[in-house]
Amino acid sequence: MFKWLIVGIAALIGAAIVFAAAPAPDDTGVLTITARYVKTPPAGIDDPAWQRVAPVQVPVAGRLEMADVKGTVSTKALFTDDELYFLLSWEDPTCSTVKESWQFDGTQWVHLKGDEDRIALLFEIARINQFSSKSCSVVCHSPADLPRSQWHLATKSPVEKGDLWHWKAARSAPYRHADDGWLTVAGNPTGSYRETGRRADAGDGGDIKNETPDGSRPLYMQDPARRPSVPGFLLLEEAVPITDYSIFRAGDVIPYRLPVKPSASRFDVKAESRHADGRWTVMLHRKFNTGQEDDVAFDVRRRFSFAMAAFDDSGADHSKATRSLVLDFKR
Amino acid sequence: MTEVETSTTEERSTVAASRASIAQLLQVEVPADAICWHRFFGALQLALIGLLFLSGALMALAYTPVPGMAYDSVDYFQFSLPLGNVVRGVHHYAWNLLLVVMGLHLLRALILGAYKAPRQIVWISGVAFFLLMPLFIITGDLLPWDQKGYWSTQVRFSIIASIPLAGDFLVQLFRGGPLTGIVALTRLYVLHILVLPCALVLLIGLHLYFLGTRGLSEPLTAGAAPRPKVPFLPTIVNRWLAVFIVSAVGLGLVAWQWPAALGDPADPTDSAFIPRPEWWVLFLNQLVAIFKGPFMVIGSAIIPGGLVFLLGALPYLDRSPERHPSKRMGVMVATAVVLAALTALSVIGYVEHFVRPEH
Repeated sequence: MFKWLIVGIAALIGAAIVFAAAPAPDDTGVLTITARYVKTPPAGIDDPAWQRVAPVQVPVAGRLEMADVKGTVSTKALFTDDELYFLLSWEDPTCSTVKESWQFDGTQWVHLKGDEDRIALLFEIARINQFSSKSCSVVCHSPADLPRSQWHLATKSPVEKGDLWHWKAARSAPYRHADDGWLTVAGNPTGSYRETGRRADAGDGGDIKNETPDGSRPLYMQDPARRPSVPGFLLLEEAVPITDYSIFRAGDVIPYRLPVKPSASRFDVKAESRHADGRWTVMLHRKFNTGQEDDVAFDVRRRFSFAMAAFDDSGADHSKATRSLVLDFKR
Repeated sequence: MTEVETSTTEERSTVAASRASIAQLLQVEVPADAICWHRFFGALQLALIGLLFLSGALMALAYTPVPGMAYDSVDYFQFSLPLGNVVRGVHHYAWNLLLVVMGLHLLRALILGAYKAPRQIVWISGVAFFLLMPLFIITGDLLPWDQKGYWSTQVRFSIIASIPLAGDFLVQLFRGGPLTGIVALTRLYVLHILVLPCALVLLIGLHLYFLGTRGLSEPLTAGAAPRPKVPFLPTIVNRWLAVFIVSAVGLGLVAWQWPAALGDPADPTDSAFIPRPEWWVLFLNQLVAIFKGPFMVIGSAIIPGGLVFLLGALPYLDRSPERHPSKRMGVMVATAVVLAALTALSVIGYVEHFVRPEH
């Protein structure tokens, strides 16, 4: 009798600890993406480790020109002892990497219609007020007199800081990374948000516009002495100034935006990407702690609120996650 | 007499008094049956309360009771300071365990009839702990200023406000204004770390004092022979220390492995957030859900308050000297019914909130 009583009491105490250990998921708009531990880093998009993780479908909805766009981004996350991996996959029938490339029509150079596909993640480096409950809408500001199309991304105060991972099909994918930037208060001293609060991390990267000072034609072409390391793209390090425009024939295309070789903190977020079967699949990964002030430092004991936006052949127009997202780590 | 001589004489008398106290303590003896497994809960409660005080005091060193900074100070303590995670975890788990152990301690006394004369006052002082516990919950949950704590507090304030006559006044007393902001946080913080712990220490002192004067209840099987005794110091004190060390190490390991959760920062504009109740208030939540609108007070105050009152009055309702449970079937059946009702309400609440939430 006493033996069973002791067993019962021990079970009750054990149950109390278990209940206390399991944080109750609250009824809220927050969607949790749980990163699972793997000992060996996934080698790429097709690594079997990804098959063992259930995807979370992050709902996204468009704004402005993309107001009727609705979809989901299948999101998976893994982590090793020192690195975080995301696998993002979303439907996009067209692979857009044109980004207003130049085309010679036989008499003059014109910009092709078309932008690029992108996906962006935003984390908190330092607490952004209401970010965890209202997501990126709290950093999308504008003075009342500006139309929504001119809204910019910025935090409300200098103490709030975001970490922006921006994968761009035409401008960062060739170097297999996501442009690593950070978000702060708008640059305008009046604080009117007429300027963006986006800043690039330390180091080289990004892209330059390939155009002559008068903007009438491209300035650079592929170095004929070098084989393009990424076919279809013109990297700045492989470009040479055009000295003779007569070599071009009607229909020739030269990229308008030339990726600059990334380095230092701007090159922290590595990426693998593929467009196949009407879908983009992008793997992003970064060290937990880069030691840089312009990067969020991940800690597997904590939750990290984040936001997501997908861009379909567009510049500013995008579909953003309709729910606040949180990243959780589970061993 | 010179000043130096006076001072030396005072020092000598103080030392003599201390020695006398220690000698007196060394002479204190308690029945040997105090060291049995089912009397273990009292010692464990003391250990857990000690751990709660210690971990709470450490957390207070880094805590900032200001809405815009409270969350970050907790976050900093837990994730940036060495062992912060363990200390906050110990506070969290010790609290959860304390509620279970207090329940078991009370149940043991109830089943074994330990509330009977001459120990009525021991029992009443024990039941009084259950009046303090909800106050610790109300005041402590808001402190991390996270979504769950903030919105749970809002729900609790609305429940308290439903108490006739005193409800609005009590809410005003806690909140200090129309909104839950810096005044509320400061008040609840002071209550949580100063007023309530002092009240708890006082209550523990009274409980132990009454226990000392009225004595431990005899074992049910005790015969006419005198009970064997053991010295309070060192036997009982050592036992308490052992329980404290084992609890600290055990809970520290649990906290290390499964850290206490820290939710998202509170957003007072996010009224869509619906906090789910902790396991210990599931039954109360269901009671409040059953009695809606103007009848809410039945679930929120009358039934729980009535139960605590009946519990406190038990020594005067069951006056027979008989202590064996089989000869107190009325009390046993009533206890079983209440326990079954609380369990059923908790299970229903768990299913509603966790298994198939409607919202």
